[in-house]
Parts: sequence; structure tokens; C-alpha cells
Amino acid sequence: MAAHVLRLRVALLVGALRGDSAHVTRVLLGLMLLIGATIAAGWALLTLRDAPIDVVLAVFVLGGSAVTLGFTLAPLIAGATDPLDPRRFTVLGLPSGRLAMVLAIAGFLSIPIFTLAAISVYAAIVWSAQGVPWVPAVAGILLGIATCVLLAHVSMALTALFLRERRSRELSGLFVLAMLVVVVPVGVFFASLEWGGRVPTQLTAAVDALALTPLGAAWAFPGRVAQGGMASATPALLVAVATLVLLSAVWVLLVRRMLSTTERPVSVRERGGLGWFAVAPGTPGGAVAARSLIYWLRDRRYIVNIVVIPIAAALTTVPLLIVGVPPAIIALVPVPIVALFLGWLPHNDLAYDSTAVWMHIASGVRGVSDRVGRLVPVLVIGIPLLAIAIPVSIWVHGRWALLPAMVGVCAALFLSGLGLSSISSVVSPYAVSRPGESPFQQPQRTGAAGAIAQTLVMIGAIAVSAPVLWWGWLALSGDDDAAVIALWGGLAIGAGVLLLGIAVGSAVFERRGGRLMEFAEST
Amino acid sequence: MNASLPEPQDVHPHQPDGDLGGARGQRAPVTPLPPKPKTPAGVAAGQQPAPPPRVKKPRKAAPRKKPAVAPGPPPPLPANLTIPPKPPLPPTVVAPRADASHTAEAPVAVEAPVPVEAPRVVDVRPIAETAPDVETLRPAGAPRVVEVPAAAAAGPRTAEARRPAEAPRPAEAPRPADEAVAPVVHAIQPQPAPAFVEPAPRILAETLVAAPLLNGAAALVVKSVTKTFGDTRAVDGIDLTVPAGTFYGLVGPNGAGKTTTLSMIAGLLRPDRGSIRVNGVDAASDPIGAKRQMGVLPDRLRTFDRLTGRQLLHYYGVLRGLPSAVVESRTTDLARAFDLSDALGRLVSDYSAGMAKKVMLAGAMIHSPRLLVLDEPFESVDPVSSAIILDILSAYVAHGGTVILSSHGMELVERVCSRVAVIVAGQVLAEGTVDEVRGELTLEQRFIELAGGLSDVEGLEWLHTFSD
Repeated sequence: MAAHVLRLRVALLVGALRGDSAHVTRVLLGLMLLIGATIAAGWALLTLRDAPIDVVLAVFVLGGSAVTLGFTLAPLIAGATDPLDPRRFTVLGLPSGRLAMVLAIAGFLSIPIFTLAAISVYAAIVWSAQGVPWVPAVAGILLGIATCVLLAHVSMALTALFLRERRSRELSGLFVLAMLVVVVPVGVFFASLEWGGRVPTQLTAAVDALALTPLGAAWAFPGRVAQGGMASATPALLVAVATLVLLSAVWVLLVRRMLSTTERPVSVRERGGLGWFAVAPGTPGGAVAARSLIYWLRDRRYIVNIVVIPIAAALTTVPLLIVGVPPAIIALVPVPIVALFLGWLPHNDLAYDSTAVWMHIASGVRGVSDRVGRLVPVLVIGIPLLAIAIPVSIWVHGRWALLPAMVGVCAALFLSGLGLSSISSVVSPYAVSRPGESPFQQPQRTGAAGAIAQTLVMIGAIAVSAPVLWWGWLALSGDDDAAVIALWGGLAIGAGVLLLGIAVGSAVFERRGGRLMEFAEST
Repeated sequence: MNASLPEPQDVHPHQPDGDLGGARGQRAPVTPLPPKPKTPAGVAAGQQPAPPPRVKKPRKAAPRKKPAVAPGPPPPLPANLTIPPKPPLPPTVVAPRADASHTAEAPVAVEAPVPVEAPRVVDVRPIAETAPDVETLRPAGAPRVVEVPAAAAAGPRTAEARRPAEAPRPAEAPRPADEAVAPVVHAIQPQPAPAFVEPAPRILAETLVAAPLLNGAAALVVKSVTKTFGDTRAVDGIDLTVPAGTFYGLVGPNGAGKTTTLSMIAGLLRPDRGSIRVNGVDAASDPIGAKRQMGVLPDRLRTFDRLTGRQLLHYYGVLRGLPSAVVESRTTDLARAFDLSDALGRLVSDYSAGMAKKVMLAGAMIHSPRLLVLDEPFESVDPVSSAIILDILSAYVAHGGTVILSSHGMELVERVCSRVAVIVAGQVLAEGTVDEVRGELTLEQRFIELAGGLSDVEGLEWLHTFSD
């Protein structure tokens, strides 16, 4: 069986070269580029032969981790399908254990793995030049490649099992957003490092951490051997082997499951056209989230609110600059203000629905579903925005020890703002411009209820975050321990107020449905 | 196929449709109507019913199975929209929809041949031939003529036992047909042998008639409900009882409190005083349980119109807790039934008023509620669509669902509704079957009378002295 499957795999690879001439030209061109890039990368690696061991280790661990992560995420993001999907073998009635093994072996025969293997050969050369015995060098590399192969398989199988129906533009967008959240801070972090011919201490810490994770352990193993012999390399080896064993087990289980279940037939045509509804879970809360997302991204009234936030935050720095506050301090001001405004955004969310809110009331939607669903768009917009803004602001400030304090302060302001907004939007909604009207055309309001609600949410969020702000201030004055306290304290306060706010808001929503309708109809 | 049109169900909507197929057959008789002889003329009012007996005499039992393929339905109804008859149901259940879709021809034709063609065998027991004859005659041939004896004698047979399920049928029977069929009725009348009355079936029949009463009889009970907005008392102690399986009309002049009443029933507004029970569930103590049983179509409230039609229907369904797969199949069915298939991909804000109304009505039905609360469902809907909607609603009522609607169209209410309440200034001035309410007058005349009559318009004399 193994020979057959491998032959099939090779035939599939060669098959990529068949087709009309334009296609073949494209594939060949791509291959040439890939080969060129591989040689260049290998050349670059070879220059490391006489570099300090720390540098070599850092490069290999970081690079290897990134590649491994790439093998995991690529199938999720690109929606790649496994040409040797275990389900295609269902009809042959093969034993699942053997099939899993054969497919895993066949997984080595693919262009990305070939490239990785080629580069790994250079890596092995570098390691032996660094004085690593060839056994650990080759073992580390083999472990790394095998981990990549299995991760790709598992990832593709999981995609096929769970994400195939949800695959859509919106989902890909979410993945890209998630990557942005990770990549931008890391990039900013790297950009801020001062290399100066040696490995910065922050990076050493990162490498040490990565060397004990499944992503980097295999790549770190030879380097550890070079640094301090087998003894210091054992933890990395253990992690790498355990990863491989675990992945193999998962893969075998997945193959068994895929062989014993059938795909749910999905009509693409019917599934299409649902947009975010196809991505969100099919529960009332998910539906409310999807609907809110569509409105946040499509309704001008919401868009204006979002656009105003960075502008307002930027404007607050102007007076400070005029007064002569040092730029390093000013750099820290806008981000917490953005966080505060983001948390404050949905404080009148319900009023934007106008009378359409009857659908939620007449359907008997649970308060929790309504409240949480409405917060999802703010989270989807707010978290990436903050994830990008916080490192940038710290980078401008120049002292990375403040990062935890900054995260804590922003989390406290943002999350507690959301919690208080959840209450205010059902307790005291006030009239806003109606759907389809210009966002700048505000309706006449009687009474001050609206202004009070706005102010209370804003001040309340600042008030509950006051301790965190104090810790942040201490951190800014030089107390590094306060930064860590601010981080955990901020997260705890934010999460607590958020949960409390959702609970209270839900209860009020369920009790006051009639009052909400009266409000909606009166505006 | 069960998803094709909403039907009331006991089961929680989470239950996928497919599972209900078998059970519903048994359930059908549990949602009966006491035969209401005095209901108004057929749905297809205004259309001259074809002379009944002549068309289809030779068709024997066949017509029973035939859903709606009768010749010459006017454009309204694509044939594929039919509710596929479910095997366990009495086949005649199909009839009501036939009434509405084609002219009155179909129902009469289906029923009429029976008396003449004795051999029609619907039942297993050939002995009883005569009994079913009379029975089947009853609806077609003017309830008023034969009414009581026939119905009494009819009880026993097993086939009859199911009859209540199709009770609305007699209501549909076009009145003009009476004269045509009456002679036949009389000719056959002697035959029904009370001798066939057997105890056991009678008990069955009785329990079935009694079933709705045990079931809580009323789909909706509104007791002395009051609502005040500021100084205005919009609804002032209204009492309504809507029996299950009725088409209930709420009429009243502008500002009489109809919309407020319906909003309170739907759970959108909370009454200041009074209680509302939906199928025995108290709306004040268990609002979610009560709301689950209702489908709501409000008037003049927005909907989430930045969604496409498909997204909106999906939203309706998922908010009601249906699984996505069920929502998808029902969306397709509803879109086909309401002729919205081509519009599903467009934003609802781009729809015409009538289309928006249709999509909202479809959304109100998507979780197959027991009670539909419809505020002005026919306003700004074109005649073809409103015929389709009526058709769907009639079939829904025929299967035991209950509809309460408000309308300004007196003629429509008179034609469609089995019971009606006239609301003026927040109070119920008249309530009962359409015949009871209107008495000797037409419903419209009676309504104007109740609403205070046409006062002489004074003070507009300047209008009659044209200015140029």
C-alpha cells in the first residue's frame, strides 16, 4: 500500500506540471524562483558558520519557529485542501492506522517540505561547523521537518472537518486580522532592538522561551548541544519528541474519525450570501454578533463613530505638546484614550437599531445573547487596534518595561467601558439619527438622559480603572514591579466589570423589553 | 417537505423538521375545530364558483388525492408551491388551499361528486358508504340546509373522526354553491343511517371534539388588558378569546388601539393591567415561553433592512433558536412560497413595501409558531401576493394554527375570518363569529355603525365653491 500511495503522491507532484503551456510556464517560473530563494537562504545561512553560537541559535530558533507556525497556519488561512485527504481513501477500506502512517510519510513529498529540507541541510552544515556532532544535528533537523509535516496534516484535517462550511471571505479576513495582531507587535519589537553585533538580551529571553515550545524545540536542540552538551539539550529534545508523539496520536485519531464519518453535504449556493452569518455560530448570540458586524461595517452611523476615535486621541496630544510635556510621555497618552473610547462606543448601541429591536424582543432572545452579540464587533475592531497601537506607542516611548502596564491600563479602560456600556445601552438609551439618515444629523432630544448616560459610562470606566492607572503611573516613575501588577490588575478589573455589566445588562434587557419598545417607537 | 409551510407544532422548534412527519399525522385530529356551519363564504369570494357537480363527477376517489393541479388556476400560484399532502392526514385537508388558489371550482368539484358517486371509497369499510356521503356533503352542500342531522349522524365513522381537522372547509364552501348542491343533498339525505352510529367511534369523535377544550381551547386569551400612554388610554380593558384553529379578525377605525393590542399580545409592550395567555402560557410570568409560540408581523416597525433577504430570514430563524441547516431549508421553501427567491440576494432596504412585508411575514412563520399575530398583513401587498398569503394562512389554519390579524379591509375580513372583534376607542364593541357581528348588515355597514356612523360633514362648504 505504501508504495502505491507514494507513487500516487509523486504522480500528483508531476501532475502539477501538466496542463496548457501558460500554466506550465507559471509553475516552472515559480519553481525557479523557489530554487533561487532556497539557494540564497542557504548561502545566507552558510555565512553563520563562524558567527557566535548565540547568534546562530537565535536565528535558527526564531526562523524555525516561524516556519513551523507557517506550516500550521497556512492551511487555515489559505484554505488549502490536502491532495491526500484521508476521506478519499474511505472507499478502499484500508486499516486506519496504516493509512495514517503511509499518508504521513507521503506528506514528506511536497514542494514546501523539499524546500525546508534543502535549507535544513545548510543548517546541518552550519551546526557541524559550529562543532555539533552530526547525530544531534541531523536528529534535530529531522525532528523539525517531521513536526512540520504532521502539523500541516493535522491542520488541513481540522480545516476539512470544521471550517469547510464556514470558509468565506469574512473568515479569511478574520484570520488576516488575527495574524496582524501577532505580527505587528512582534515586528515593532524587533525593530526596536539594538543589535550591535550581538544578541540583545530581550531576544535571548525570547529564544529561551521558544526553545521549550513545540514550535522551536526541535530547531534549538543542536544549538543547545553546541552550547552545553547533551545535558543542557535534554529539555529541548524531550519537548520536541513529545510534540512529535502527540501530533502522531492526533493524526491517527483524525484519520480514524475522517474514515468513519462522512462529510456533511453542503450546498455552496445556499450557504453563500449569508456573509458573517455563515461565519458566526448558529446560535442567537452568534446571529446577533453577525448582524451587528454587518451593521458596524456597513452603516455610516457606526463608521463615523469609529473614525472619530483616533482623531480625538490624536488631538489630545496637541495641548500637551504646546505645554511642553516631553514627547516620550506624550507617546503614552493617546492609546489609553483610544481604549476608553472603544469601550464607550457601544453605550447606546440599542438605540441605533431604532424600532427594529422588536425582532429581538418578540423572539424572546436571552439577554446574554443580545448583550454579548452586540459587543463582538467592538471586540473585533478594538483588539487589533489596541494590539497594534500599544507596541507602537511603547516603541515611541522607548522603554519596553512599560509594556505590561500599558496593556493593563488599556484592558481595564476598554473592558470596563464595554461592561458599563452593556448596562447603559438598555437602561438609558437615547435618541440617535435613524437608520439611513446622515450620522451628523442628530435628532432633537428632550431631557438630559443621553448626556448623563454618556458621561456616566465614561467617568465610570475611568473610576473603576483608577487603581490600574495609579500602578501605571508608578511604573512610569520607574517601578518595574508595578508594571506587572498593573497588567494583572487591569485584566482582572476589566474582566470583572465586563462580566458584571453583561449580567446586569442581560437581566435588564429581559425585564424591560416593553419599555425598550416604547422608547424605540417614541423616537 | 414539512418545512415548506409553517404548521403549528407541539414540538420545540429545535426539533428538525424531518422527525415530525410521522407524528404529525396522528396529531392532526388533535387540532380540530368544531364545525362551524355559519362561517362566511369561501375564501375565493368575488369569484363565481363554477357550477359544482358538472365538472368532475367521474373522478371518484381520484380528486381526493389531487392536490391543486386543477385546471385554470389564475396566475397567483405556481403549482409547485403546493403543500404536499402528508399521507396520514385526511386527504381533504388539501382542499382549503385549493379554494383560495383557484376559484371556488376546486373545492366544490372535489366534494360534489361524492354524493352522486356512491362508490367513492375513502374508507376501509364499504358498508358505511352512505354515512360518509352525507358527511362529505355537509360541507359542500350548504351547512345551513342539512346541517344538524348530518353532522350528528356523521360523527361515528372513523373517517369522520378526522373531519374536525378540516373543519375550516365548510367555511370555505362558497355560498352560492348551496343552491346548486342542495337538491342533491336532499336526495341523499334519507340514506344516512343513524343505525351506523356505533358507540366506540362516537366516543372517539367526542373526545376529538372535546380535545381543543381540554387543550386549553383558546389559543389566546386576553383579559381586561389596559394600556395608557401618558394621558391617552390606548387600550381600555379589552377581552378577547381566540379559539385554536381560527382566523380571527380585529377591525376598528384608525387609532382604535388595534396595533397596541396586537403589540401587547406579541409581547412587545407590557400591559398596564390585565393578563394575556397564549396557549395556556401566561405571558407575564413566562414571556419567553409565550413568545416562542407566536410569530409576529408588526406594522410600521423597522426591520434590519441592511441585511439581504436571505440574511434577514436567517436572522429570524436563528434568533428563534433553530439550527442553521433547518433555517436554510425553510428559507428556501418560504422564499419560493412567497415568490421572493429572486430577491433574496438584495438588501431589504431596496425592497418595495409589499416585498418587505412579505419577507417579514415569511420571517414570522419560520419557526412554525402556533399563533400568528399579524398587524395589517395585507397593507400595500399586491392582489396576487395577498391571494398567495391568504392561501398559505388558510392552509396554516386548516392544520390547526391560529391567526389573529388586524385589517381595514372589511370585505377581506368578512371573507376570510371566522371570528371578528370590532375595537373602537380601545374597547371591544362587538365580538363573535362574523355572522353574529354583522347581523343583517354587511360587516362594513355594521362596522361604520359601531364606529359612530357617518356624521354629516359640515364646515367644508368652501370646498364646494371652487376658487377660480
